[in-house]
Amino acid sequence: MLGNDIVDLYLAKTQSNWHRKNYLDKIFTTEEQLLISAAENPDVMVWLLWSMKESAYKIHNRKTGIRNFAPKSLSCTIHPNTYGEVNIDGYAYFTKSSLQTAFVHTVAAPNYNQLDEIKITIYEAPHYLFDYKSTKPGCVSHHGRYLALVY
Amino acid sequence: MNKEQIIENLKTIVQPYSEETSALAHIDENTDFINDLKINSANLVDIILDIEEKFNIEIDNDSMAKMLNVKATTEIIAAKLEARAGQ
Repeated sequence: MLGNDIVDLYLAKTQSNWHRKNYLDKIFTTEEQLLISAAENPDVMVWLLWSMKESAYKIHNRKTGIRNFAPKSLSCTIHPNTYGEVNIDGYAYFTKSSLQTAFVHTVAAPNYNQLDEIKITIYEAPHYLFDYKSTKPGCVSHHGRYLALVY
Repeated sequence: MNKEQIIENLKTIVQPYSEETSALAHIDENTDFINDLKINSANLVDIILDIEEKFNIEIDNDSMAKMLNVKATTEIIAAKLEARAGQ
């Protein structure tokens, strides 16, 4: 089972104002908020942590059947080379992220060893594959100009 | 504030975050923020914060976890308003 999440940084800038009072506190743990305030580029850190949580949630949701909005219960740890780990209710999901100027993308898997075997395809509008569903992706993420598929 | 009034207020709150004009026009208890209104999950946080401001209530994490549709959200707002009135 795979998870993936893409954030179009250009759209995120206009769509979400994370500087809004109490915004970060609703989503991020104390440790995560410290990572954001200490980051060289807080904007990228916010969306990196967010995409880690979203990609892990997409697996957790399918695995447990639980559908909710509890971003703070997904706790992120960032390891070197943009690897990471997301913990929720005793489950651990492993992540690998890609930080680009225009987007942040994260893939998640239940086992660390799976991460390097995941095939990632990212399309930028308007070059979307016509019928991507027939390629049977393991997870689909769409935001702004980007469509991200993982296999 | 009765249920209909809460839903009416909620409609005004969610409007800026959805482009689904038809689903917005027919908003009712069964409307789901993500499946029907296609609201971006990062904007769900804005909706929670807007609700806190508009109704002058505090949404705890356990309540927030359930707020994915109009029905659950209306029930939570009503319960919080009632609790405040009883203080």
